Amino acid sequence: MTLLTIKDLRLSIGDVEILKDIDLSLDAGKVLGIIGESGSGKSMTALSVMNLLPQAAQRGGSILLNGEELLQKSEREMNAIRGREIGMVFQEPMTALDPLKTIGHQVAETILVHGAASRRDAYAEADRVLERVGLPRDRFPRDRFPHELSGGQRQRVVIASAIALKPKLLIADEPTTALDVTTQARILELLRRLVDEDGMGLMFITHDLAVVADLADAVAVMRQGDVVEAGPTREVFRTLAHPYTKALFEASSHVPPRDPSLPGGPPVLEVSGVVRDYRIAPTRMFGPAGAFRAVDDVSFTIERGENVGLVGESGSGKSTLARALMALEAVQAGTITLDGKPLSDTDLEARRKLQVVFQDPYGSFNPRQRVDTLITEPFHLLGGAAPRGEERQRRIDKALTDVGLSPSDAHKYIHEFSGGQRQRIAIARALIIEPSLIILDEAVSALDVSIRAQILDLLAELSDRLEISYLFISHDLSVVRSITDRVLVMKSGKIVESGKTEDVFRDPQHPYTQELLAATPSLERSMAGA
Amino acid sequence: MIRFLAGRLLSVALSLLAASIIIFLVMEVLPGDPAQFILGMNARPDTLAALRTQLGLDAPPLLRYFNWLFGMLHGDFGLSYTYRVPVSELIMQRIGVSLPLAIISLTLTLLIAFPAGILAASKRNSLTDVGVMGVTQIGVAVPNFWFAIILVYVFAVTLHWFSAGGFGGWNKGLWPGLRSLVLPSIALALPQASILARVMRSALLDTLDEDYIRTARARGLSRRQALWGHALRNALIPVLTIIGLQFAFLLAGTIIIENVFSLPGLGRLIFQAIGQRDLIVVKSVVMLLVFAVILVNFLVDVAYVAIDPRLRRRA
Repeated sequence: MTLLTIKDLRLSIGDVEILKDIDLSLDAGKVLGIIGESGSGKSMTALSVMNLLPQAAQRGGSILLNGEELLQKSEREMNAIRGREIGMVFQEPMTALDPLKTIGHQVAETILVHGAASRRDAYAEADRVLERVGLPRDRFPRDRFPHELSGGQRQRVVIASAIALKPKLLIADEPTTALDVTTQARILELLRRLVDEDGMGLMFITHDLAVVADLADAVAVMRQGDVVEAGPTREVFRTLAHPYTKALFEASSHVPPRDPSLPGGPPVLEVSGVVRDYRIAPTRMFGPAGAFRAVDDVSFTIERGENVGLVGESGSGKSTLARALMALEAVQAGTITLDGKPLSDTDLEARRKLQVVFQDPYGSFNPRQRVDTLITEPFHLLGGAAPRGEERQRRIDKALTDVGLSPSDAHKYIHEFSGGQRQRIAIARALIIEPSLIILDEAVSALDVSIRAQILDLLAELSDRLEISYLFISHDLSVVRSITDRVLVMKSGKIVESGKTEDVFRDPQHPYTQELLAATPSLERSMAGA
Repeated sequence: MIRFLAGRLLSVALSLLAASIIIFLVMEVLPGDPAQFILGMNARPDTLAALRTQLGLDAPPLLRYFNWLFGMLHGDFGLSYTYRVPVSELIMQRIGVSLPLAIISLTLTLLIAFPAGILAASKRNSLTDVGVMGVTQIGVAVPNFWFAIILVYVFAVTLHWFSAGGFGGWNKGLWPGLRSLVLPSIALALPQASILARVMRSALLDTLDEDYIRTARARGLSRRQALWGHALRNALIPVLTIIGLQFAFLLAGTIIIENVFSLPGLGRLIFQAIGQRDLIVVKSVVMLLVFAVILVNFLVDVAYVAIDPRLRRRA
């Protein structure tokens, strides 16, 4: 029977139309995947069901839950429905829990606020629910606080608090996007199990087609506040009837065209025996300080024009290694040479050969500076030799043109650009000083798939044309596979496997690499299994 | 927890030691003869010499410092030059006025600021919010001594509810003493309460936008329940910082307010001692005020740990 029926749902915030005539339906015991890029309205659809919208929001149309019209419920009635009839799980497990309350309390709260049990019974039930989501009491005492848990464990607590009263509908808004692949696989498994056991309906919102391909019984593809296509998952993915679905599908498995030959010559980067220790505060007053080895005897080289991928989960040491390469932190042992010169934080000549592009296109620019000031920032590495006047202008124009923007963009502020354009500006900032190596630290992870495909094309083209090498750091294996020549797999500070990208992906040797690949959702695999 | 307390207490002791060194250096070692300063320019040489001996100024500075320090540890603050009584006796008398004044003002500050801040935040952008923000804006802008004068004019001169100044003393029972502290406490508290209410409001609004509030609402908590159950405690962390800072301003405020209301408190004592160049009293009272501020900041630190589990380390 139909659990949730959304009909002609309209939503506007102020004068802005967010959703136009959304039609969706979900049966009990089934999973509906809602796919869309940022701004498609997928989260707003979920929040409309919960009625947790911003204040100026206006809803129209109809949302029926088990035949009851939610749009006509008062705020008081909705309070009784949220948590009891509908549970919701959000994207950011790190901030989704109150840092000052114990995990036991936050799960029991769902039961208590609905007056479903006495205080004592609520805590006992919370204990059982936490057990059910994979947090046994002996390892996770219920008086633990959120900061004592990892991201995946916190997401389990959020899920427990959402399902404590066995709601009929569970809404999960990008619940695994912030998690590592192996953690993601376990959370997806958990959600599927809960749906099967409780006969709950699950509305699963994601930007990642591969994730829903395995999980969802039916999917709806959203774009700019509209559902462009909906139907059973396999059918939608096999026929790709709508051009937008097709474009999304192609963009997610996009492989940029690359020139496989390398220009040769001496390696650009040589890393040999690098060790990075962190000091751990002593456990006793005046006691000895401990040490944590974040990077353990790492060696590798990158050839001119070569794209090398560095993959690993959070805590594997890949970001620490990147910081050491950027000479932001001193290493305890080993050498790093760039174009034959040892790298140090005082040697500007060596440092100008290496630039970096970070993940967050929104946070990595000063909002009060114009684009020309932003992208000429690396010029300080040239000291007195920094280009001025016409030469500076020429370099700005060239860098912007190289990344597919126009020279006239130089006088704009960063807020005038979209996420993809900002990442182009970040690449322009790295290019302007003509480096030999660019570290791309999750540089495309925050981008929508269609934008991501464009940026990957741009990166491939720049690497071929300007003979630039990349160290491509990412947790997203499919992206690494599409753009790199060679890949390094990192775990617990060590490189456990390295080799040609295709070889490693086709025939992984190390158990950890095998585990990573198995956990990575793959469109091809789920389509092949159909 | 015990290690944390020990660490904080050690830092309290070190801060007090550092403060005592600075106070001593400024008062006694920097160029200028304290005896000459106390007696004025026209003092006779033999009086000067006598005072120097009495103040122990003949001894080397290091010895004088340690004498002062160990004296204080035993409750011996020396003899006031103008009053001719032990400074400790003066302080004990005056603290009976200043301590209740500080406690009442701080309590009033909290009693006004918390409800006002919470009310404004929970009804964001409503008429109530605008009203609270407007009133507190005035409260922040008006200096407390001017406010004190207005209070005296309205409640003492016109309505005769309270006396315009002076202290009833505690020996005649609680009410006469308390009654003379009402207007001064209000004058001290209102500007501080205005600041704190605004801080409370913005801290609450910030936490109400946090992800965990949305999670709590998704569990079925009403807006009100989420505010009381989750937002308030999280908002207390920045608010506590401000309370700690405000206490120092409150102490500074007592110097002015005690003068406006002619209250025989520490503020008035130090004010008069400065006027009478009674360096021995000034030195000791400044040290005492430093101690009060450091103590309150220690309590704020302990409160942080009590509120925020992230600051506690699991043994």
